[in-house]
Amino acid sequence: MGGYQVNRKDKERVQVEVVQRVLDEVGTDAQRVEQAVFDTLYEERKRLETEPDGPSKSEQLAFYERMHTRSLRMDVQSQRKALKQITHRFVQEVTGHFDPRVYALSTRLVPVGLNLLLNALSPIKLVQSIPLGMSDLEEQFEVSGHVQRVKSLAQKATLVMVPTHSSNLDSILMGYAIWRMGLPPHLYGAGLNLFSNKLIGFFMHNLGAYRVDRRKKAKIYKDVLKAYAGCSMELGYHNLFFPGGTRSRSGRVEQGLKLGLLGMGLDAYVRNLIEKKVRPDIFVVPCTINYELVLEAETLIADYLKEAGKARYIIEDDEFSKPKVILDFTKKLFSLQSKIHVVLGEPLDVFGNRVDDDGVSRDFRDRPIDRTRYVIKNGIVQLDAQRDGEYTRELAHAIVQSYRKHTMLKTTNVLCHVVFRWLQEKSQGMDLYRLLRTGGAEESIPIPEAYGRIDKVREALRRLADRERVRLDLPLREFETPTLVHYALAHLSSYHRRAAIERRGDRLFHEDRNLIYFYQNRLDGHVAELQAELS
Amino acid sequence: MTAMTTDLCIVGGGSFGSALAMIAAAQGHRVRMWVRREQQANEINQAHTNGAYLGEARLPDHLQATTDMQLAVQGATVVLMAIPSKSFREVARTVGEHLRGDQLLVHATKGIEAATFARMSQILREETCALKIGVLSGPNLAAELMQGHPSGSVIASPYDEVVHGVQALFSHSHLRVYGGRDVVGVEVGGAFKNIIAIAAGVADGLGFGDNARSLVITRGLSEMAWLGTHLGADVFTFGGLAGIGDLVATCNSKLSRNHRVGERLALGKDLDTILRELKFTAEGVPTTDAVHRRAAAAGLHLPICQAVYSVLFDGKNATGAFGELMRLPVGDELSTLRYR
Repeated sequence: MGGYQVNRKDKERVQVEVVQRVLDEVGTDAQRVEQAVFDTLYEERKRLETEPDGPSKSEQLAFYERMHTRSLRMDVQSQRKALKQITHRFVQEVTGHFDPRVYALSTRLVPVGLNLLLNALSPIKLVQSIPLGMSDLEEQFEVSGHVQRVKSLAQKATLVMVPTHSSNLDSILMGYAIWRMGLPPHLYGAGLNLFSNKLIGFFMHNLGAYRVDRRKKAKIYKDVLKAYAGCSMELGYHNLFFPGGTRSRSGRVEQGLKLGLLGMGLDAYVRNLIEKKVRPDIFVVPCTINYELVLEAETLIADYLKEAGKARYIIEDDEFSKPKVILDFTKKLFSLQSKIHVVLGEPLDVFGNRVDDDGVSRDFRDRPIDRTRYVIKNGIVQLDAQRDGEYTRELAHAIVQSYRKHTMLKTTNVLCHVVFRWLQEKSQGMDLYRLLRTGGAEESIPIPEAYGRIDKVREALRRLADRERVRLDLPLREFETPTLVHYALAHLSSYHRRAAIERRGDRLFHEDRNLIYFYQNRLDGHVAELQAELS
Repeated sequence: MTAMTTDLCIVGGGSFGSALAMIAAAQGHRVRMWVRREQQANEINQAHTNGAYLGEARLPDHLQATTDMQLAVQGATVVLMAIPSKSFREVARTVGEHLRGDQLLVHATKGIEAATFARMSQILREETCALKIGVLSGPNLAAELMQGHPSGSVIASPYDEVVHGVQALFSHSHLRVYGGRDVVGVEVGGAFKNIIAIAAGVADGLGFGDNARSLVITRGLSEMAWLGTHLGADVFTFGGLAGIGDLVATCNSKLSRNHRVGERLALGKDLDTILRELKFTAEGVPTTDAVHRRAAAAGLHLPICQAVYSVLFDGKNATGAFGELMRLPVGDELSTLRYR
């Protein structure tokens, strides 16, 4: 089965299979079935209480109320039927409306510029207004890393693309990157908020997205999402998801990953082996998305710094919900000739081993590995929840390592790092929150001091980059220090409501320390190595 | 004969590896040992003894030894490495040439790689394709195991298959093998206790009594836990067989090589002479060097380790080093652990 076209027959097959797997997971034990039904009804009714009124809410409420009333008098058979009905409903909601013809259209549209794309009032209007030719995005967007290997493996196996996540623009950019590399489209679960913007929703569907409503807390719903991803992988559809689960609030590159969805690759692989499929392999492609500025930086870091327990898992009222802000952001970013980099790491098998051009897994000594052996127990290929959970941890570890190695640092990251470290030094002993609130003892850093520190950090980073521990964007690697600082400051003062750092005379003033902290956090995974280099 | 017979490969022909091979073979499992020297393999296969390590103790007739790693490893369900830390990586790499992903890979080496500070399980991950990796540790003096005295061990691995597989191999009426998850803790416990055993040997060699040894053991345990938790271990592991259990056995035993190193240091002998006389590997020596460097880099205060290091490598005399330890300021006994 090819990964390019999702046909109706497959879709129906997946839907039936997902429902069955979720029900199998619950089993036939009367108590478990009852608990699954009641928990789901409780979670859904609770969620609907906070939903705005409308026809959708009324319809859903009526459904769940009806279920609730009936469930009180049900025997276990009827409860299983009810659970099947609810599960089926979830599956219908989740399934995307992928249409290869529209996909071709949408990917032709994307390169003409995000600004146009995002500013358009309707898809129809957009189509009419687009001139043909080279776009801003074409020049200012770069895909690098193991592109050729990924392209070659896409012909041999099912891919699972797992990017870092710092902005809602990530999914659009990944859709574009996949198209530009000439890869077939990938399925991915996009948050409902991406669909709430009608235009972006249009592209989300057509880039292979299916709906994920993160307000739905019922376990059955999460099981549906996992099973849907797993089934689609088994059928050979490439997938994409953000294993960090949500946008990085702190600005750090992800260090802890959600294992549930990640584990579906292994699950699908084992099932493929059991079914003796011709093309059973599933390869995971870690990739980093690197911006000089992050669209939602202000909202994300504010959320991160909220007291524990008050942070939000879902943010619906951020910069991404305001088309004008997105337009402004893209305009500024492009006018500064700023590049967005997507870097593909080495593809991995579902156990975390790297995979070569021919699809052969390799150990650390570059010896070939027969990966089927990992899932053989007592002589036969089989699933084993405990073992497979640990294998998925191995994979997560390998992805995190890859993220670190393929993070492309930008000038804003390094300038903010230097200023933040200097602030900390000048206010030793002050806790983070106070430092961010007050700025500590000094309100500005002399330019020569900043230059000197940047030179040292940059030299250390260059050495790390030479050893392939991290990547450096061209301006960071090549610019003269004053130009580098100028370039970073131009970015920091261009889009955010308030410049994070401002130059006045011969000093740099820290104006928005939360933002400084956010951008410097991108170096967090490299701090130990950086310190070792500096000392 | 047990109901389930397992193919076990023991890599290493030292005393502990031989003792484990003998226990598993006595249980009816098919055991093959990999040894470096042809002569030793012949002795095990023909005379059924391993004289250099086990004296005249007779090994089971069906216990086979070979110098061919491929032959030893292929076909084994479980591969157990009992190799000194110094040559662990080199041997692991050879094992890696023949290992497959379905095999369970366990080690019983109580040391840390001096050059890299890598734990043995990390080396196994780097040098082989194995994922199902575990560590077997605990108060298991080989001579006592061979005599069939009661003993306890812990097998730690994130994989149930490894824990259950090793328990099935070695558990019998004289050996209780407990399961655990904390690989880091078990490895740190096994390695660090050798440093403390040297310190306890010094105390005994200086003629101090049980109070002094007990002081060394309990403060040593505290340092062990401090280092271990710094590396990600669960503090409770150090209250188990791989922590206090092994520490008590090693520090009280005249059979312990590391304890013997400490005793002879206290008598004023230099390290080279001691190691030459001992003939066997004393893991505590390179481990002290490795831990000392890591502690310095991480800013960890490990005074006993520091004192052992200064006696081993800086030529400080044992009495002076012990005296300095006794003059250190005292604070809250558990402060380093309580606030973690």
